[in-house]
Amino acid sequence: MTFTTYFNTMKITILNGDSSPDDSDFTKYISQLKKLYIDQGNEVEMFTLSAMNLKYCIGCWTCWWKTPGRCVHKDDGELIFRSVINADFFIFASPLVAGFTTALLKKITDRLIVLLHPYILIKEGEFHHHKRYDTYPEFGLLISRETSTDNEDIQIVEDIYKRLAINFHSRLRFLTITNEHLPEETAYATHHF
Amino acid sequence: MPLTIFNGSQRGKKSNSKLLIDQFVTGYKTINNEPVSIHYLASTSVVDQQKSFADAECCLIVFPLYTDAMPAIVKAFMEAVFEANIKGPKKVGFIVQSGFRESIHSSFVERYLKKFTIRLGYEYLGTVIKGGIEGIQIMPPSMTKKLFENFRELGSHFAQTGSFKPELVVQMAQPYKLSLASRWFMQLAPSFLKNFYWNSNLKKHKAYSKRFDKPFIN
Repeated sequence: MTFTTYFNTMKITILNGDSSPDDSDFTKYISQLKKLYIDQGNEVEMFTLSAMNLKYCIGCWTCWWKTPGRCVHKDDGELIFRSVINADFFIFASPLVAGFTTALLKKITDRLIVLLHPYILIKEGEFHHHKRYDTYPEFGLLISRETSTDNEDIQIVEDIYKRLAINFHSRLRFLTITNEHLPEETAYATHHF
Repeated sequence: MPLTIFNGSQRGKKSNSKLLIDQFVTGYKTINNEPVSIHYLASTSVVDQQKSFADAECCLIVFPLYTDAMPAIVKAFMEAVFEANIKGPKKVGFIVQSGFRESIHSSFVERYLKKFTIRLGYEYLGTVIKGGIEGIQIMPPSMTKKLFENFRELGSHFAQTGSFKPELVVQMAQPYKLSLASRWFMQLAPSFLKNFYWNSNLKKHKAYSKRFDKPFIN
């Protein structure tokens, strides 16, 4: 049995929010993971956020009521929006800094509201925003521990990303800690959940 | 103890957070007339943020909920404070406001805010959560009267005690989840009523016909 028949191949997008990716163990891990995905026959797009021109969401609602579905910023964000919404699966990747994923990753996460519709619906008994697109990819969360990280930190981060998944009409497929799981295990978890 | 407030909204001086801070400070000053130092993270350099934080004794960080957590500018501020290992304020509290009415949306980041404060060795003053804030700038005064009264009371109590008034924190966080009646209303109400705020703004910007656009589909 070959990799490609054993695994369902997918379009996978990786958002690397490592603020210092040069030679970091975290980014090396992601590079290995990317290679494994490609070896499995997946199509992979990886974005190194620190090398991109990305502005902060300014809360202007242009993407909701002036140019629906398009952000006011004309920067590299559009490359990411297109990749994420056309992916079968995507990964939020970031070392933990001060107990949470980096501001760099949060910067693009805030702007993913461009992929949602402003109208409100009730979901799981709560207000949430409607879908703008027919389908949304499931995602994984890849993090690394700081020296001070404890299990409560991991739980808090996981719970917040599970909330994001509800808002994003998606599902958190896995949370992987790079200090504790091999890239092969993460690649396996991507397809087996 | 002098009070320092960091406004973590990207909208800065045009933000809903500012309106709430203004009310809080108005209430605060009825008891304590010392100047309150207010900083806008969206327009302050990292170096200045670190200095202001280091100089503060008691500080409040106020921000809108963005994708279930603090906005990126607030996380960047937290990283700057964390990485510089600033032995700054002795006490830190938070006010989190959101567009959605229910406080459940902000309750997850509240756990992070508490852990962050303790990690840095500061005293955690608590987090005030207030939903239903989007749109307050265009609401008639009758609709914001109670909200603003609550924030003024929060401020005056804070000036007296150095803490958030517990009963008010509980009251302002209501509802935690939507009532059955609210859920029924949303299920049964006609779409023009449910979407009035968004549709009126879409029409104002001549974008109503494009409201269902999907520009990034390949």
